[in-house]
Amino acid sequence: MSAVSTGVLAGRRRSIALALFLLVQTLAAVFFVGDAIADIVEGNVGAHIYFELLVAIALALGVGLGALALRQTLEELKAQDVALASARGALGDVIAAQFTDWGLTPAERDVAFLALKGLDVAEIAELRGRAAGTVRAQLTRIYAKAGVSGRAQFAAWFVEDLLGEGLDSEA
Amino acid sequence: MTEASSGSSSRRSKGLSQAGQAKPLPNWDPLLRLTHWGIAAVVLGNYALTKEGGSVHIALGWAGLGLLVLRLIWGFVGPREARFTSFLPNPMAALRHLVGLSKGQAPHFPSHNPAGAMMAYALWACLAVLIGTGLLMTGATPMKQAELEAAVAAGDWSVLVEEGEEAEDDESPFGEAIKEVHEVAANLILLLAFLHVAGVVVESRVMGRNLVRPMLIAARRRR
Repeated sequence: MSAVSTGVLAGRRRSIALALFLLVQTLAAVFFVGDAIADIVEGNVGAHIYFELLVAIALALGVGLGALALRQTLEELKAQDVALASARGALGDVIAAQFTDWGLTPAERDVAFLALKGLDVAEIAELRGRAAGTVRAQLTRIYAKAGVSGRAQFAAWFVEDLLGEGLDSEA
Repeated sequence: MTEASSGSSSRRSKGLSQAGQAKPLPNWDPLLRLTHWGIAAVVLGNYALTKEGGSVHIALGWAGLGLLVLRLIWGFVGPREARFTSFLPNPMAALRHLVGLSKGQAPHFPSHNPAGAMMAYALWACLAVLIGTGLLMTGATPMKQAELEAAVAAGDWSVLVEEGEEAEDDESPFGEAIKEVHEVAANLILLLAFLHVAGVVVESRVMGRNLVRPMLIAARRRR
């Protein structure tokens, strides 16, 4: 699980918890207000009706504010998703351009992409229905074209770009 | 459930399926899903499981009232897909959607599709009638009804004397009509629910998009 998706997951959990809480609160409010109205209809109107009114207002306010809080959480989650998707798209463009630059063949592009995603040789071979030896040879050619020593440097190529730009823009 | 195989093939396929267009639809928000299944449970529970007029039946009805109120509030303050303004009732558009569906070319809508929207309003109206007539029939909160039943169970039949007076109301034409409406609405809402499920199944099959999945509550983590 990546750091980003952990954050999104936490937000999702919070929104589900908020929704459950809101549901319980609404049920409580409806039952309470119903009970108070039944009291009034039956003529049991004493001083305690004012307290019941106060509680009813508090419950209704709680439901309203809870709904707004939930909506805000959901909107934040959505904004995160959009930002994440555009960052992903941007990174994907950078990677695709770089692959073209290195002159990777279509098969090599696929393998390189899977290698970047962290799959090992056996997994890539299984996914592509090729022998492990074929994949290993393709990886060797990819590293040679990219001018890197191995998988770690290959992955670092793109991460380094991101980090470097981040620092530059801050300075 | 044919989508399950393509959807569950884990993150491995994500890299390769860039060109694949079978992206699952976004989920409905959690509150909408909760109220949806809550109301479904209330309707089915009160139809099949509880004793008519019993305290559990009444309590479930009140829970349905709470769920309906919450969903209606959510229709004003919720996220865009849940708001009424995203799916205003439009019978003509609903018909067009159904005709399009029969030709296998119904567009997808971010909120309810026009036919689904009409169904949602019909279900809510039916539910409101059910709850309203239910309230008129009992006039009691579930707490009071439970107290009453507990008293009778304890052998104190005197509480029923009061009931006896109300029982005369029940035999009045008005009381009979209310009861009749409650029963008709109960059967109608089941019919509507059946049509609703049928609509979801048909559109999911014909258009090849799984409309059930976005409404499910169970977490399905990719990875």
